[in-house]
Amino acid sequence: MGAYILRRLLGMIPMLFAITVFVFLLMHAAPGNAIDGMLNPRIQNIDQLKQHLREINGLNKPLWQQYVIWLRNFVQGNWGYSFSQHVPVRDVIGPALVNTLLLAAMAEVFILIIGVPLGIYQSRNPYGGFDNTASVVNLILFSIPYYIVGIFAIYLLAIKLPIFPSQNAVGTGPDAGTLMDHIYHALLPALSVALTSSAVYSRYTRGSMLDVARRDFTRTAYAKGLREGEVFRKHVFRNGMIPIVTQFGFDIGGLIGGAVIVENLFAYQGMGYVTLQAATTQDYNVIMATTLLIAIGVLIGNLIADILYAVVDPRIRYD
Amino acid sequence: MATNMLIPETSTDPGKLNARRSSKSPNRLAMERFMKNKMAVASVIVLLLIVAMSLAAPLLTHWNPRQVNLMIADQPPSAQHLLGTDDQGIDYLARDLYGGRADLLIGFVDMVFVMVIGIVLGGLAGYYGGWIDSIIMRFCDFMFNFPFILLIIVIVAVFNFSNIWLLICVIAFTSWPAIARLVRGLFLSLRESEYVLAAQTVGAGVWRIILKHMLPNSIGPLVVNATLLMSNLIGAEAALAIVGFGVKQPSPSWGNVLSGALNFLVLQSEPWAWIPPAFLITLTILCMNFIGDGLRDAFDPTFEK
Repeated sequence: MGAYILRRLLGMIPMLFAITVFVFLLMHAAPGNAIDGMLNPRIQNIDQLKQHLREINGLNKPLWQQYVIWLRNFVQGNWGYSFSQHVPVRDVIGPALVNTLLLAAMAEVFILIIGVPLGIYQSRNPYGGFDNTASVVNLILFSIPYYIVGIFAIYLLAIKLPIFPSQNAVGTGPDAGTLMDHIYHALLPALSVALTSSAVYSRYTRGSMLDVARRDFTRTAYAKGLREGEVFRKHVFRNGMIPIVTQFGFDIGGLIGGAVIVENLFAYQGMGYVTLQAATTQDYNVIMATTLLIAIGVLIGNLIADILYAVVDPRIRYD
Repeated sequence: MATNMLIPETSTDPGKLNARRSSKSPNRLAMERFMKNKMAVASVIVLLLIVAMSLAAPLLTHWNPRQVNLMIADQPPSAQHLLGTDDQGIDYLARDLYGGRADLLIGFVDMVFVMVIGIVLGGLAGYYGGWIDSIIMRFCDFMFNFPFILLIIVIVAVFNFSNIWLLICVIAFTSWPAIARLVRGLFLSLRESEYVLAAQTVGAGVWRIILKHMLPNSIGPLVVNATLLMSNLIGAEAALAIVGFGVKQPSPSWGNVLSGALNFLVLQSEPWAWIPPAFLITLTILCMNFIGDGLRDAFDPTFEK
């Protein structure tokens, strides 16, 4: 197992390299540059000044050297300066990363406590009235985009019934910034992201459980005379959850992608919100850092999915 | 010689005789099953109505969806303006009706683009395998590391354009890997089939085999996924428009009508501004998902939902 994890980690290196090169080149291809934007065009001898600034910032070096310097700085945590917010990029991203992780974790919890039990319940009594109704409701829920869920959530639970905040990741007042305050503010965004996905998960869980319930080993378990509950707990549930667990890790990318929109709806200061603010102000240093961090996050999510898969399914051998 | 010997065998095959008696192609049978699915057929009708509504927008409203008139800004619904006007005095109904054009155009054109790229690259990967397959699949893996919406936002921000066709190209560029992976999977299994071997034996070229033999045999999953892809693309366009990176003002789209209404005051007091576009987006996606579901059941009757 340890060797497998190590090999997967080493296997990530080429992908990490490709991601950093891509992000670097994308920003390099951007029209205009930071220096032109920073200077007042009426400065005397502006061309000389620009040349000087390019030299001290290393922008006159060959592209690959610039890449190496940028990468070294990035690894050392020196992510540059946000030109729109006038603070180091790290100070912008630090709190945003915490907010997004909290939002994603809460959304995953909601997905699990809504989607999986519903799917299991449907699979226990398939093709019945409840199952059919739930399937149609799921398809409808699945078709409502998460941002529209978010808008209705704001309308109903923040405007008509003002019980939840519709804005910001932390409140004001004495308990601002506490964990409860964070959770309170992340609740509506997390629910908006989770509702659509939980429909997917219940559909997926139901299919997986029904599939396992038809297998030979389930029939054998019944034939041995095990009770219904025991067959379900020890055979159907354990095997039926394998694809769900894997799906879970792969979903991290989608969750963060969806969070971009929802975070903006709720003005929730997460990675998506910060990226978008930076995108509208052409703040390339921030865009570079968030894009890279999100891509690395997705990569780690996939790694976790693979490891979880190996943990829950001992039949898979990796040698 | 071997091919000659096969002929008497197939002609006496009982399955063949049965097939001749009811001479319906599998696709024809699938269509018949589809037509029996009430939800799916109803969705087709509703979707056609939505398409007709946006194409015939000039016949349904005489208001121009870009005409600013500050004298009549922020009006509630009236006989003149059935859904009121926005803060620039543009008729909401006109924006909703014309807005469908942008969303449906992006959904449809991008679906075609993505399917073409996905089929070509996925087809090559699945057909050849080996290093071609490795390169294309590693590239897909690479693309999957960037959340699709985020990547579009970053690209649009970096190159800073507002042309709808460039937006369509960026969406196509970022969303083909899923289809390529699907096509590759389908082709990997089809590659081993006898009819592909037969076509290779008589000297058919790669593209002939892919287009004439493998593609028609994977039409079911492709049609299903194309439908679901279109619903995803329409959802994505609206999501982008909401954050200001989709179709840009003043061109109307459902997404940017919705985004214009996203402030506390409008949400609270002008439901006519945001409920219709939200409803239209949801209804379109819902119809496409029901159609996709119906097609899946029709093409693969054994599929367990």
